[in-house]
Amino acid sequence: MKHTRTERSLAYSFLTLTALVTIIPLLIALFTSFKGDEEFSLGGMTLLPSSWHPENYSRAWEMADWGLFLRNSAIVTAAAVGGSLVLNLLAGFTFARIRFPGRTPLFLLLLLGLMIPSQVTVIPQFIIMKSIPLFGGNDWLGQGGNGWLDSYWALIVPELAGAFGVFMARQFYLQFPKALDDASYIDGAGYLRLFFSVYLPLSGPLLATLGIFKFVSVWNDFFHPLIYTNSPGMRTVQLGLQVFRGEHQVQYNLLMAASLLVSIPILILFFIFQKQFIRSMVSTGVKG
Amino acid sequence: MNRGWNRIVPYLMILPNYLIFAVFVLAPVLWIVYLGFTDYTILQPSEWIGGRNYERLFKDTLFHKAIINTIWYWIGTIVPAILLGLVLAALLTMKIRLLAAFRAFIYLPGVLSSVAVAMTWLWLLDPLRGPINGALEAVGIEGRNWLQNPDTSLPSVIVIGIWTGLGYAMIVLLAGIQGISESLYEAASLDGASGPQRFRYITVPLLKPILLFLFITATIRSFQVFDLVYILTGGGPANSSTTIVTQIVGASFQEYRMGYASSMAVFLLGITLIVTMLQYWLGSRNTTTE
Repeated sequence: MKHTRTERSLAYSFLTLTALVTIIPLLIALFTSFKGDEEFSLGGMTLLPSSWHPENYSRAWEMADWGLFLRNSAIVTAAAVGGSLVLNLLAGFTFARIRFPGRTPLFLLLLLGLMIPSQVTVIPQFIIMKSIPLFGGNDWLGQGGNGWLDSYWALIVPELAGAFGVFMARQFYLQFPKALDDASYIDGAGYLRLFFSVYLPLSGPLLATLGIFKFVSVWNDFFHPLIYTNSPGMRTVQLGLQVFRGEHQVQYNLLMAASLLVSIPILILFFIFQKQFIRSMVSTGVKG
Repeated sequence: MNRGWNRIVPYLMILPNYLIFAVFVLAPVLWIVYLGFTDYTILQPSEWIGGRNYERLFKDTLFHKAIINTIWYWIGTIVPAILLGLVLAALLTMKIRLLAAFRAFIYLPGVLSSVAVAMTWLWLLDPLRGPINGALEAVGIEGRNWLQNPDTSLPSVIVIGIWTGLGYAMIVLLAGIQGISESLYEAASLDGASGPQRFRYITVPLLKPILLFLFITATIRSFQVFDLVYILTGGGPANSSTTIVTQIVGASFQEYRMGYASSMAVFLLGITLIVTMLQYWLGSRNTTTE
């Protein structure tokens, strides 16, 4: 495909302009996080700090229990990613490769889940969490306590059953030839061994796509921690950041440092796995 | 294979996933429809009140405001994001050098959490010392309190929504354009079609299914807008930027009017289902006519 020189230079200028517009707010945030308090109060308008203050990061770190928030986010994200991959792949494999009575209606029912926004189910989910028997001070009828509310369970368990993950896994496993299954059955393997020894080793791209999708959506989740937790000890990084801003609102250099701090895992993931990341976002139709 | 023990193994393999799905998605959907007909609060047992929540919903001027704001947010974010995303995607397929860098930079705001995005813009838009007002004053325009002024609160949130959503639109469309056969463009070039003409007569028509997919996913997502609004403006000032989900959360988890909030959630569910049906209907019509 040929393009004239004018076309190409117009393309470059437009792309550069747009990239600048999108990236400048982030650069301002980055450089602001290194500015000193005094430069701040003078209201200087330079992009770069007049003197660099990397200690802003340790100051911001000490002003809130970031270690705890990071630990909470790491536990919840790791459990949600690991657990959902196992459950979704296993179910997706079963729907794709095994015939059993009721397979189609069960799968169609699961597909309905794709259409349901989590903001719609949050009220009943909250009541269900509160009524889980024998947890959080509840008796066996689910009365008297807080159930799963304000615990890791509330943030992890609903993330495990993604209709979307099962759908993607089924699409992925449908593309293999039937001969692959037959060879394994002749060797005397059962369904589970077929999955673990034949299909799981072939699932690399699927694991990357779904894993990144889940990691980003759980790590960045603000809505569910906001509603399901209330004690400071259960805060995730996103919730912690919002509380930090409420307490230290005017110290924007520290607020920017904290914002970058909680974004580091996502940024590392993005720059290392850019190709898989983009594939994941395109196929999922979900923003990170 | 389908004998004895093996008959139930497939069910056991989908059971963990299905059980969680049933408890945390299916049951809540049925339950929210029921709750919408009750006066449930978390503090007292619920009573069936028929359609009274919905009668109130139709008269609730605050909820009307939330719907109108959500519609503005929807139009205000997806039209610019899709149009600009289309242009950017088309430019990126011109065998551009540094393609990966352009793509990464434009997409970057989309990977950050809504909280981090909101914090960045709280600083940029800060009325006293923020860079945006500072830059405006430098060229002689008086700055204002963007997020706390009823005239500019929603437009500010919309601009931020475009900033975070543009990269996604661009990347989906880029994948779509890359799927179009190169030979079509070569044939058009031989016939003397210019770049803009090829874009108009090859790229856009062949991209219709992807545009539909993007339109639907972006629409559904924009109707769920909450985090940005909650952090940046709290829905204010004077409810000038409140949205459907802000109202649901406010009514249920701040005022404990769970029954009433449920009727709002059913409204949101209804819109989402209609839009999804539209996708199937338009999608199947496209494949049968072309």
